[in-house]
Amino acid sequence: MANELQQKIQRFILENYLFTDDPAALSPDESLLKQGIVDSTGMMQIIAFIEEELGVPVADEEMIPENLESVNKIVRFALSKLQTA
Amino acid sequence: MATNLVELLESVALRRPRDIALEWHGSRWLYRDLSTSAACVAAALARLGIGRGERVALLTKNCPQYASLYYGTLAAGCVAVPLNALEQANVLVRQIVHSGARIAFGDENLPQWRELAAQLHMHSIPARPLAIEDCPQAASRFIQALSPSPGGVEDTAGRAMPSDPGTLACILYTSGTTADPKGVMLSHGNLFSNTASITAYLNLSRADVGLCALPFHFSYGNSVLQTHLAAGARLVIEDGLAFPHVILQQLQDRAVTGFAGVPSSYAMLLSRCRLAQFDLRALRYLTQAGGPMPRHLVQQLRSELPHALLYLMYGQTEATARLTYLPPARLEHKPGSAGIAVPGVEISIRRSDGAEMPAGEIGEICARGPNIMLGYWRNAGATAAALREGWLCTGDLGYRDAEGYLYIVGRAVDMIKAGAYRISPQEIEEVIAALPGVEEVCVSGVPDPLLGQAVRALIVPRSGHPLDERTVKAYCRRLLAPYKRPQVVEFASALPRTASGKLQRYKVAAQ
Repeated sequence: MANELQQKIQRFILENYLFTDDPAALSPDESLLKQGIVDSTGMMQIIAFIEEELGVPVADEEMIPENLESVNKIVRFALSKLQTA
Repeated sequence: MATNLVELLESVALRRPRDIALEWHGSRWLYRDLSTSAACVAAALARLGIGRGERVALLTKNCPQYASLYYGTLAAGCVAVPLNALEQANVLVRQIVHSGARIAFGDENLPQWRELAAQLHMHSIPARPLAIEDCPQAASRFIQALSPSPGGVEDTAGRAMPSDPGTLACILYTSGTTADPKGVMLSHGNLFSNTASITAYLNLSRADVGLCALPFHFSYGNSVLQTHLAAGARLVIEDGLAFPHVILQQLQDRAVTGFAGVPSSYAMLLSRCRLAQFDLRALRYLTQAGGPMPRHLVQQLRSELPHALLYLMYGQTEATARLTYLPPARLEHKPGSAGIAVPGVEISIRRSDGAEMPAGEIGEICARGPNIMLGYWRNAGATAAALREGWLCTGDLGYRDAEGYLYIVGRAVDMIKAGAYRISPQEIEEVIAALPGVEEVCVSGVPDPLLGQAVRALIVPRSGHPLDERTVKAYCRRLLAPYKRPQVVEFASALPRTASGKLQRYKVAAQ
């Protein structure tokens, strides 16, 4: 499940922000903001993707770097939410 | 009595050295730290042989070290050239070379730093990497890194400061096109006078705690930094609005009294968070500039934060930052107005022949006062077009009502306003036109619920060269800063032109 989630998130970011199919273009631990991959509006789109495509609701207080800053952080966050749902 | 920003900072540091000036993540910079580190920057520039009037490029995200570099550059009598840390290396190099900078200081952890440093090397411009830390010892470590010997701190601040307020202090780039780069030249007098005007109408004092998530290289963010330091207030620095909840938490935890935003900042805060969940009683005021704010956002802010004064403001980099503000007491009476001139500034509505328009009639908004720029750096043509007979011609269209309140109705020149940024379509067109397979391109703004406008590129492909959206977007990603990249890419067989061949941008925008 973690692998599948990681692939989905990675594919979304590669397609919409890096415009490539090459998974090597994005390291799963890379900071999406610090590396300039997304800006604040891009982060809002990623949150919408997590909610709508992964079916994981994101509460206000969960919109923090610890949950959303990199692909792996998003995966961990989504998994923890899915497991407690 | 202080006559420039450096003297203002020195005066606060002398009277209240232990007051907190800046907070950023885990680091706190006292006024004493900021003043000392600025003196170290000034001394370092002197040691490097960089003298009065020479340009110093600065490239960091928002952080206290930036403030130190900026004030230190001014204290050395040099000219600060703050740059956008989101820009790609190719644009930064163009701006640095155009400015004639003798040196560039930058955050070594920025993704484009290595490439930038390599390119600057080819132009014989030294690029000095800086370690930007946010730990509790960040201030003392930064000071030590700049000092010639351990524990050796030099006090040269202010010694090289020019006494003439008309002396150039900084250059802020608003456009990076190859043909028409626009570096707004601001003098020490410009910075000082606009800082004093804003501090006065916001009633800023040392009791204030501001929060700034706007980039400092940009005139609005620059004014927030300068006004807080001039007032002896505290400024909490944030990197951006990607995590609105974090901003609200900071507003609560730091008992912030003032927040500065552009319309998209407020749209983000209001769209995803419930303000009522936070204790924001300390919030005394909110400011908004960077384009008109939709009426529903104004109403929502007023209803969710009724105790906070809301200042709607209008300005331009060419006017240092601020031209007008709507006094909060008139918000209900003057909906849609950009308000009255800030102290010391005159506003005039003019026809294209320069004649002043009576109340109620639309013309170009012109302004004069001690905050109006010296001109555009090394661009006499653009300077002559913008500064006419002592007036700044803003390129914005508007009118004044019978009481003198300003209303903005549009722009006389083609600029895209996306979030906080004013974007030149020509700059993006220049980049896209160089992509193989592009015959011609027209860039315009399209409505966007969050940003106000988003960038759209309409491309005519060269025959026999198939192009797709992804190729164009991937190409733009390499060469354009995120906020300049087209969100919408469309293709057409031809662009609308007049009989003489002039591109009809308004038709493209309306398509």
